Amino acid sequence: MPFLDLLPAERVRTDLAAADKGGLIEQLARLLAGDGDPAIARDALAARERLGSTGLGHGVAIPHGRSAKIDEACAAFVRLAAPVDFGADDGRPVDLVAALLVPAHFTDQHLKLLAELAELFSDVEVTRALRSAPDATALRAVLERGLRADG
Amino acid sequence: MNAIHDIYWLLAAASALVLVGIGSSLVARRFGAPLLLVFLVVGMLAGVDGPGGIHFDDVGTTYRIGSLALAVILFDGGLRTRRESFRGVSAPTLLLATVGVVVTAALTSLAARALLGLGPVQALLLGSVVASTDAAAVFFLLRAGGLQLRSRVGATLEIESSANDPVAVLLTTLLAEFLAAPTGVTAGDIALELALQFGVGALGGAFGGFAIAAAMRRLPLTGGLAALFLVAAALFVFGVTGWLHGSAFLAVYFAGVVVGNRNVPGFANLLSVLDAGTWLCQIVMFLVLGLLATPHTLGPALLPALGLAAFLMLVGRPLAVTLCLAPFRYGKREIGFVAWVGLRGAVGIFLASIPMLMRLPNAQLIFNVAFIVVLASLLVQGWTLGLAARLLDVALPHRDRAVRRVELDLPGSLEREMVGYAVAPGAAILTGAPLPGWAQLAMIVRGGAILMPDASGPLAGGDYAYLLAPPGRVYRLDWLFAPPEEAREAEREMFGEFSFDADVRLADVAEFYALPIRAKDAPLTLAEHFTRRYEHTIEIGDRVRLGPVSLIARELDDDGVRKVGLKLERLGNVLVRRPWLARLLPSRFVAR
Repeated sequence: MPFLDLLPAERVRTDLAAADKGGLIEQLARLLAGDGDPAIARDALAARERLGSTGLGHGVAIPHGRSAKIDEACAAFVRLAAPVDFGADDGRPVDLVAALLVPAHFTDQHLKLLAELAELFSDVEVTRALRSAPDATALRAVLERGLRADG
Repeated sequence: MNAIHDIYWLLAAASALVLVGIGSSLVARRFGAPLLLVFLVVGMLAGVDGPGGIHFDDVGTTYRIGSLALAVILFDGGLRTRRESFRGVSAPTLLLATVGVVVTAALTSLAARALLGLGPVQALLLGSVVASTDAAAVFFLLRAGGLQLRSRVGATLEIESSANDPVAVLLTTLLAEFLAAPTGVTAGDIALELALQFGVGALGGAFGGFAIAAAMRRLPLTGGLAALFLVAAALFVFGVTGWLHGSAFLAVYFAGVVVGNRNVPGFANLLSVLDAGTWLCQIVMFLVLGLLATPHTLGPALLPALGLAAFLMLVGRPLAVTLCLAPFRYGKREIGFVAWVGLRGAVGIFLASIPMLMRLPNAQLIFNVAFIVVLASLLVQGWTLGLAARLLDVALPHRDRAVRRVELDLPGSLEREMVGYAVAPGAAILTGAPLPGWAQLAMIVRGGAILMPDASGPLAGGDYAYLLAPPGRVYRLDWLFAPPEEAREAEREMFGEFSFDADVRLADVAEFYALPIRAKDAPLTLAEHFTRRYEHTIEIGDRVRLGPVSLIARELDDDGVRKVGLKLERLGNVLVRRPWLARLLPSRFVAR
């Protein structure tokens, strides 16, 4: 399942603001939940962050989680105007955040999606383009281009 | 008058050979040919069957030149062997160098009897001649090939290659002596001789090494003379030990190790002078052996010899290595790599000249077969070394990119060395990544001025940073100074995507990602899991595979692993189940 299929245009945002990591997780959980209960996503993402930060370094993080309480995978992508400390190894606050929530039975699929994302964000050109994209539409276009060029 | 002119001729011809060899090596390096092969081929071209047409069949001279050269090469190899690199590998390498050589020789002799119809003792002699890996070839191909191996694998191969030469020399000379005078030699005699050779060799080496180091510290010798003193003293140890019926090759290697690990003044300088000497020895040795070969007589032995070479590479050595390394905690891929890098070299050909020297029956056949086996090994194994390292995942990724690093030995200190980097703009060190505790900024060169760290302010792009760090860890600084385009990729390659503190429980991580673990590992933390797997030989970059991911030791402290990376082993559309195939193809050719 391609990452982009999990990422409808309304979950690509450039207008979120968060004061800290907890606030950011909360915002992402709401975005992922849509009309549903944000607590499911929040708990899943927070559980993973307790094991270790999902910050990849270089200002990028991919918080992710599995939950038995959902049936469909979903994703969100956010660019923050004000970077937030995410506990990443390189100490750099993050401004590019891709969040991923998958059902509990997604195991291999889960890892595959994460690998796809990590590889995408290790490309300096991609992160540069993501940071300079003017709006959410352009942002999603960059992701689309990057993931396609990748595959 | 003629005699006076002859010397010019001889010198001109000899030095021309060396020059041609060095010249062709520059060309050869471009397409990755094993350099030593080039010298062997240049020797053959100059020899009786090549355009050079030089008729050279003086086995005695060859043997003397070979002994001298090998002594210097082994001594130099010993000098460069740091005590720390023995840690964790001394027992397995010792086993490889002794039992491994005997097993390889025995297995090879079986093949030699079948393929060449030699008698049992002659076949065993041939087996011993080709049983040892060649220090010159291994050192050279591993170090100069731009290949950076994980240090346990590298240390195993290097120490083995030095330590097994003396054993092979011993085995060969004993068998040759037995063949020359088979009557009256009993198994007891052989055992006694072995013990004597080993005992006297080791004692002579240790004693000689300590004496040389002590003398070097007391005598006020300057650069050039000091190096000469060192070589002369080593050859003295070599000569005296051999004269006392000890293994001279073992002694000279051992002496090198002892001297290299004592603090000797001006050691870095000595090594660089010695480097030229060692090169010369290797070149001369290969040239002379190439000269001695008579390619037109190789024909009849060619097919059986190639069969023997194939047997040695595919059966003999792998079996011997697996047997010797099985009791120790080597991974399958590590064993595979050590088995593949059974590089034969000048030592094999040199040893093959011993039966000729003693005029044993079938000596020419043994020499020819050994010659072909060495050529085949250099060609096949030498050429595929880098590929094998990548396939088997024993190379440290991307280390060859960091050639911007300059390393300087510090005379008087074996614990630290000076390492210099050009600080790339945007490098991790400039964007807040901390310098590890074991590395210390010594000075900064900025705009041509030398600044002390306390006066320089923070580092800036375009600076040159000089740091003090333990030699074995220096490469781990590379990513801090690399340009961001390379650092990010290199770091992810090496340490994976995510990182965890090592006190996280293995079961928690495994549950989150649905990874397979054994029930008895469930209560362990990540750190304990690594310790259980690697005991006290953990190194940065060590991996534990858990189904579709690898855990990678990312930071260490005195107690073990402190930080663990998690790498998603993905290539293609599936998570890699067949890393062999997947690694064979550059990633851009693999469908995702």
